[in-house]
Amino acid sequence: MKKEIANFEINGRPYEVIVTPNMTLSELLRDSLDLTGTKHACEVGQCGSCTVLVEGKPTLSCSTLAIAVRDKAILTIEGLSQGRPLHPLQQAFIDSGGIQCGFCTPGAIMMAKALLDENPNPTRQEIKEGLGGNLCRCTGYVKIIDAVLMAAETMRKGGK
Amino acid sequence: MSEELSVVGKRLPRWGAHDKVTGAAKYLADIKLPGILVGKILFSPHAHARILNIDTSKAEKVPGVEAVVTWEDVPKKLYNPNKLDLILVHPELEFKDMYVLSEKARFVGDRIAAVAATDASAAQRALELIEVKYEVLPAVFDPMEAMKPGAPKIHDYAENNVSVHFGFPVAWGDVEKGFEQADVVVEETFRTASNHICQLEPCTCIASFAADGRLTIWSPSQHAFLHRRKLAEIFGMPEGMIRWITPHVGGAFGKYGSLSIEPVCVALAKKAGRPVKLEFSREEDFFGTESRQRFISTGKIGVKKDGSIIALQQKMIVDGGAYYTHNFSTTAVNMGGFTGLYRCPNVAADATSVYSNVPPTGGVRGYGNHEGTCVLEQLVDAAARRIGMDPLEVRLKNAKKAGDPSSTGIPMETCTFEEMIKLGAEKMGWKEKKMRKKETGTKRYGIGMGIAMDVSGAQPFTIQHRNAFIKFNEDGSANLLVNAADLGQNIIGALVQIGAETLGLKYEDIHVVAGDTDSTLYDIGQHASGGCYQIGHAVINAAEEAKRQLLQCAARRLGAPPEDLEVKARRIFAKSDPKKEVSVGEVVKEAMYNFKGEHLSISGKGSFSPTLNPPPFSVVFTEVEVDTETGTVKVLNILYVADPGKAINPATVEGQLEGAIAQSLGYVLTEDYTINKKTGVLDSDNFNTYKLVTALDMPETKVILYEKPVPSGPFGAKGIAQGAMIAVTPSIANAIYDAVGVFITDMPATPEKILEALKSRKAFI
Repeated sequence: MKKEIANFEINGRPYEVIVTPNMTLSELLRDSLDLTGTKHACEVGQCGSCTVLVEGKPTLSCSTLAIAVRDKAILTIEGLSQGRPLHPLQQAFIDSGGIQCGFCTPGAIMMAKALLDENPNPTRQEIKEGLGGNLCRCTGYVKIIDAVLMAAETMRKGGK
Repeated sequence: MSEELSVVGKRLPRWGAHDKVTGAAKYLADIKLPGILVGKILFSPHAHARILNIDTSKAEKVPGVEAVVTWEDVPKKLYNPNKLDLILVHPELEFKDMYVLSEKARFVGDRIAAVAATDASAAQRALELIEVKYEVLPAVFDPMEAMKPGAPKIHDYAENNVSVHFGFPVAWGDVEKGFEQADVVVEETFRTASNHICQLEPCTCIASFAADGRLTIWSPSQHAFLHRRKLAEIFGMPEGMIRWITPHVGGAFGKYGSLSIEPVCVALAKKAGRPVKLEFSREEDFFGTESRQRFISTGKIGVKKDGSIIALQQKMIVDGGAYYTHNFSTTAVNMGGFTGLYRCPNVAADATSVYSNVPPTGGVRGYGNHEGTCVLEQLVDAAARRIGMDPLEVRLKNAKKAGDPSSTGIPMETCTFEEMIKLGAEKMGWKEKKMRKKETGTKRYGIGMGIAMDVSGAQPFTIQHRNAFIKFNEDGSANLLVNAADLGQNIIGALVQIGAETLGLKYEDIHVVAGDTDSTLYDIGQHASGGCYQIGHAVINAAEEAKRQLLQCAARRLGAPPEDLEVKARRIFAKSDPKKEVSVGEVVKEAMYNFKGEHLSISGKGSFSPTLNPPPFSVVFTEVEVDTETGTVKVLNILYVADPGKAINPATVEGQLEGAIAQSLGYVLTEDYTINKKTGVLDSDNFNTYKLVTALDMPETKVILYEKPVPSGPFGAKGIAQGAMIAVTPSIANAIYDAVGVFITDMPATPEKILEALKSRKAFI
């Protein structure tokens, strides 16, 4: 299969990677760059576990070709805190108990980040709608929703 | 323990939380080894077929292919993937009927061959080039059909596909006489549904042999030591030549109570002489791993006019699929739930275990108790309707009390059903809502309840043997070495809280080594909600031994007797003279580094084997709205009152209950694990057609922890996680009945089934 070198900006850093036309963004992240925080739970875009942000937009990385996002800014769970100890969402997921097995957690946090970037003061129902595509088998979503509300409040008060 | 607690009972971050929110936590698929190969399995496309010939020559020639294995390459050793035969009091009842790879396919998805190659596309191409000549045999997909004379025979030993009839000793009194004395008898047959675990991490495993022949296996087992022993038996290896590592686990719920793809992975790694990673796709996980045990369960209840339950009888067909796996154990637990929840003088139960050509089932959260209690709780409502009594009052009338035997037969130290039912009823406004004037429109409101008791381990039916080891570091922190698998239930966090409380340390002062058979002591593993109650004691015992050594060393240094010393917040002081104090770290360091020749690595080993098995109690109320035009059920509100004893970490206990609510909602309303009755092919093998509950589907929920510490528990704690669905499911079913007067004997209660039931108005009281 044809291979080529493509450039990506991932978590604020430039990367030069050999890609094939059929390589997905999640394969690029996980297999080529060892950014394994992005999870594969279905690989067909049905669960939200692989959600990353491409130019700030939530994107299912398992269903996105790597080549289609070359030269774009990609944010994964590994880059979320950007040098700080933790992003308010990460802290809130810990404090609210919104994590159990943790496999859906990175995808849910990235989706929540996109949600809060767009709507800094969401209602419970708006959070449910925003995270409606992120499956979790453990938590019943109750404390995940609590976490997003908690993070939203922190961020509105200026906590970044 | 009456003193104020500083770590136990606090809402602390779960163990591993920081790694999980940053993406640093490593799950199986995230682990890479040098030279690792990609494994893939060839599954049978036929529900029932004998393999006449397998030609792997073309597959072996594919560049990059390092190993191809078929039934001819694996040990001719029958096994049962369920670990329980190693610890059961009656191991002979868990039959061995499975090979690593078989020369006969017994369901669509049975494992026929496997390949290992340098990359996934080579492995896939090799699979496609394996030429299998099958003799396709007639197949049977329903246990009732499978028992008929002339049905295809699935296992040679099982006449009429019956593996065993359990004429269980779950019987007391005289059930026939009981029914004669009853004023009302209700009988109904339920087909309790299967569902798939759908842990978000697809089933994955790595096997690697070292040059000296020692095998390391990375797999998310709930029972690393027992599964190690199973692998040792299958492959004829000494146990010590196998190291089992369990990394972070992406959900389990009973899934890893069975050996899964590990034996295939080992066979590949052995033949290839290189490490192999076998990673299931979601689709493969659906058809290729165990789902919830099914029962065709005929329940019969006899009640007196005053509401007392006088007789209970249960006859079951165990619809376990193509292999036996957990048929005995889940059936026994099912019977325990059905016969043991209420006071009843006359009970009887029996069951017949049957094979058919569908994917094998196994043990899933609730492990039979969910199915037995669900049937019982719907019959209790039905009986209450027939005698014109509030079902809540019937439950209060028959609820067990402290001193009564639990569903395991062991007397209970506490029993809070009565208080919890009354508390929940008051919070829910049960009386007014239940006695409301019923609506006549198309949107009908309904309210229902269910109660359940579960277990804190499997005492007295299996060996329950736990160990923990604690050692101190120079800075006063400690390591806890324990073979507990954190599946999301936060067992390790709870154990750390218990250890820190006992040692006088802070939560963050204890570092954990877990899930490695080489560096931890033996433990039977995570099942039956036994971790917190049982390993908790092993941790306390280890901590007390370590503390004894610590105080002895401190006593010499401070010139005070050990019994006068106390540890708090990493400092040791004399109770009689608090000015005499020293840091824990100083004492540990001095014991390690001194020229007196009195050296000690301060540490403690603790073991525990229980004699009791205190059940956690659940009382759940559900409100629904059913649309009689569309058949859709909208769950409006769920109130869950639970008695976990002492909640070691209330936040993570609540999390278990909230998660169970979602799983029950899916089980009752949306999760349809059906198998095509003509082809044996699974109808739903992805998340588009197999509908898990999403955030949008969640109703209002409220969880109340009604904590009544149990005297025998570590700080009063009991188990909670496994039993958390059991009362939720029947409470939803009973609410649906309350709304529209129909009930569904085969979940899920899809709109189609509700409409059909409304149309036929099945006469069930």
